[in-house]
Amino acid sequence: MDKLSQAQSELREMDALAAEDSPVHRLHPLCKLLVTIFYIATVVSFPKYDLTGLVVMVLYPVLLFQAAGISVGLCFYRLRVVLPLVCAVGLANPFLDRTALLQLGNITVSGGVVSMVTLMLKGVFSLMASFLLIATTPIDSLCAALRKLHIPSILTTLLLLTYRYIGLMLKEVSVMSQAYALRAPGQKGIHISAWGSFLGQLLLRSMDRAQELYGSMRLRGFNGAFEYARVPRCRLSGVLFTIGCGAAFFCARYVNIAGLLGSLIVR
Amino acid sequence: MHMADALLAPAVAATMYAASAVTVGASVKTLRKDEATAKLPTMSVTSALVFAGQMINYTIPGTGSSGHLCGGMMLSALLGPQAGFLSMVVILTIQCLFFADGGLLALGANCWNMAFYGCFVGYYLLWRPIMRSKLFGKLGTKAAGRIKIVLASILGCVITLQLGAFSVVLETSLSGITELPFGAFVGIMQPIHLAIGLIEGLITSAVLVFVYEARPELLMDVSCDNGVSGRCSLRTTLVVLAAAVVVVGGGLSLLASSNPDGLEWSLFGNTEAGYSQNMGLDEESYGVSSGAAEAAESIQEKTAFLPDYAFANSDSAAGTTVSGLVGSAVVAGAAVLICAAGGFFRKKKAAAKA
Amino acid sequence: MITFQNVSFSYEKGVFVVEDLNFTIQKGETVGLIGANGAGKSTIMKLLLGLLAGTGEIRVDDLPVCKENLARIRRKVGFVLQDSDNQMFMPTVYEDMIFGPRNYGLTREEADKRVDEVLHSLGLTELKHRYNHKISGGEKRMAAIATILAMEPEVILMDEPSTALDPVNRRTVINTINRLPQTKLIASHDLDMILDTCQRVILLSHGHIAADGDAQTILRDEALLEANRMELPLCLQPARK
Repeated sequence: MDKLSQAQSELREMDALAAEDSPVHRLHPLCKLLVTIFYIATVVSFPKYDLTGLVVMVLYPVLLFQAAGISVGLCFYRLRVVLPLVCAVGLANPFLDRTALLQLGNITVSGGVVSMVTLMLKGVFSLMASFLLIATTPIDSLCAALRKLHIPSILTTLLLLTYRYIGLMLKEVSVMSQAYALRAPGQKGIHISAWGSFLGQLLLRSMDRAQELYGSMRLRGFNGAFEYARVPRCRLSGVLFTIGCGAAFFCARYVNIAGLLGSLIVR
Repeated sequence: MHMADALLAPAVAATMYAASAVTVGASVKTLRKDEATAKLPTMSVTSALVFAGQMINYTIPGTGSSGHLCGGMMLSALLGPQAGFLSMVVILTIQCLFFADGGLLALGANCWNMAFYGCFVGYYLLWRPIMRSKLFGKLGTKAAGRIKIVLASILGCVITLQLGAFSVVLETSLSGITELPFGAFVGIMQPIHLAIGLIEGLITSAVLVFVYEARPELLMDVSCDNGVSGRCSLRTTLVVLAAAVVVVGGGLSLLASSNPDGLEWSLFGNTEAGYSQNMGLDEESYGVSSGAAEAAESIQEKTAFLPDYAFANSDSAAGTTVSGLVGSAVVAGAAVLICAAGGFFRKKKAAAKA
Repeated sequence: MITFQNVSFSYEKGVFVVEDLNFTIQKGETVGLIGANGAGKSTIMKLLLGLLAGTGEIRVDDLPVCKENLARIRRKVGFVLQDSDNQMFMPTVYEDMIFGPRNYGLTREEADKRVDEVLHSLGLTELKHRYNHKISGGEKRMAAIATILAMEPEVILMDEPSTALDPVNRRTVINTINRLPQTKLIASHDLDMILDTCQRVILLSHGHIAADGDAQTILRDEALLEANRMELPLCLQPARK
């Protein structure tokens, strides 16, 4: 049941991070969303052997983490979720792709090794960028940005409502799990005899809760419209940030900056 | 089965985003506005619950490992396919944003692989036809309902998970990310997800049967009276049969691969146990990682021209699984054709009578 | 202000949750609704709000509770739910508070003004932009009351307003209730709180009114209370050794 309390504390942590204040936090959410998506798309689009070109991209998250006052280390334990599948897929490459690509002294580096490392870096970079986005943007601002992109309001409202109740449900499930574990020492999970009723009970209770929730909406004249706090208008800083980052990613994608730097030194 | 951004090429990711976006659009359109607003509280509370419920460990008797709940089937059985799909999309978005479970760019693909199959395929192809059918009618309404729920949940979870796993392989391969031959990758992913699907199906059916006993009116397509026409009973039987063929075909062709030089069943057995123990870490990937590495090694030792592995060495599990699945797909396709033809003739007959 | 005339309600045919209720509540009165679990307290509130439909006649401000009048009735009657989490579904307190007023046609500016007034009068201004999932239980209860006050109701219904609160928060809620000039109907098992807030008490038993009258009289009647699965409020109990 460890997963439940972990999820609760992760949610709390993200909330706390997003509630802080920094130049990055103050950027318009839509600008941050667009830049993040563009960043990940750029990172992912690098060819599989283009390790040197890709490396430059690390600068964006690292710089912004600093500007936002968040330690880069914070996002790394989340890699445990992302990396296994990426590694699994990447680990086969060194075995299957043995074309020699590099000669470092006596050691020959095969294409497979390079593509594996590139793949892992892509995974790490895109994780860092999306972590940065959500660590500096509260979910309601993010939903406001999504509405600006004409995402159907049902979806954004549902997202906010669900987010509102996720903490509550996690708590209820973990309380129930604890109550179960206290009376079933030595069991790692829910025994087969309670497979249906454990979540089923909670489900029935939640349906009642949903009814009550709907009642409380109707009592306040609910007619299908939800209204959220206004998001400040996009300022010049946001526009500049978006254009600047976009241009920088574009450059990094088509100019091998690391290579250029290297050639300055090594010749 | 959550895909990370790194596993997708931008073009593939964009395509999947487009596919999922169209499905979202269609779902929003299909749900009438008043219906959607009335359903919103239920949708949000249920998806929050399913999100939390997926973190519960269900011990699997006799193994010491644990399984989890299948969200898509559960939500579409409770809310219907459109509302279920939207709820799944929201769950996946929150998992991606707050828990780094699947990437932002891969969200479109994840919605497709998990939500689309789980909700639409699971509902229209399995849940609704089975629940509306008169199967097991002799056992009495209540007992028949129970068996139908179990059948629909297990078949639904197995098939939608197979489709999802296959899509993961397809998307990764199309993105040109891995050197792993398509066939070998499929051969690793499908059987692992067969086991997961069976267990998820059992757990999901246990919860749904509980709801059925307590408050049957909460479930979609569960008639509290016997007034449903038996119109689709033949078609249902065929769909169920076709589905069973796919499952059994995939499983059998895998078992058939237990020749010593293939990828042995025992290999999967081992990775499965390891996989289950590592559930807390990440569901699918562990099995894949060791499986992939070992598979890759054995391939490396034996074959010279790798890309054609699956077809050059068709005795291997990968080859048989592919052929098994293709065969099953043909049978399933034929079943669908037969259904369509049957429906056509029935309609004609009815028209002639009138 | 509120009249119930021969009101009955049943979920199943013949099994009445409340049966043949008759009472009137005057404008400005604060009435406590007490009774054992399942005596029909919540049912009365839901009937009054039109969330359930029974037989007989219920009137609010001479307006019969029926489908055509629901919008007008609900504008006059605010309901503070027992579980504040079910009431506060928007991301922040502010958004929750403008939800009702905006649905009833106020402009954004008018709604904003009301929110500020209500928060100021309750001394909760610092809660305005806080997230609903991050405020404490006591703050949540006060914020839930604030969302209802922002609709400027003439009648306030409260379901167990004092449960699960620490003594200080409970006292804050009681003081707030006492400061509100509206007509109030409070359902609770917390008899001390009822004694502190209500002049009149309606005691329910199996869907019938067992007693209706002055709070001090009823809450001091040990025999009557015990006959209805209640006991004397703690502050009235003789000191125990």
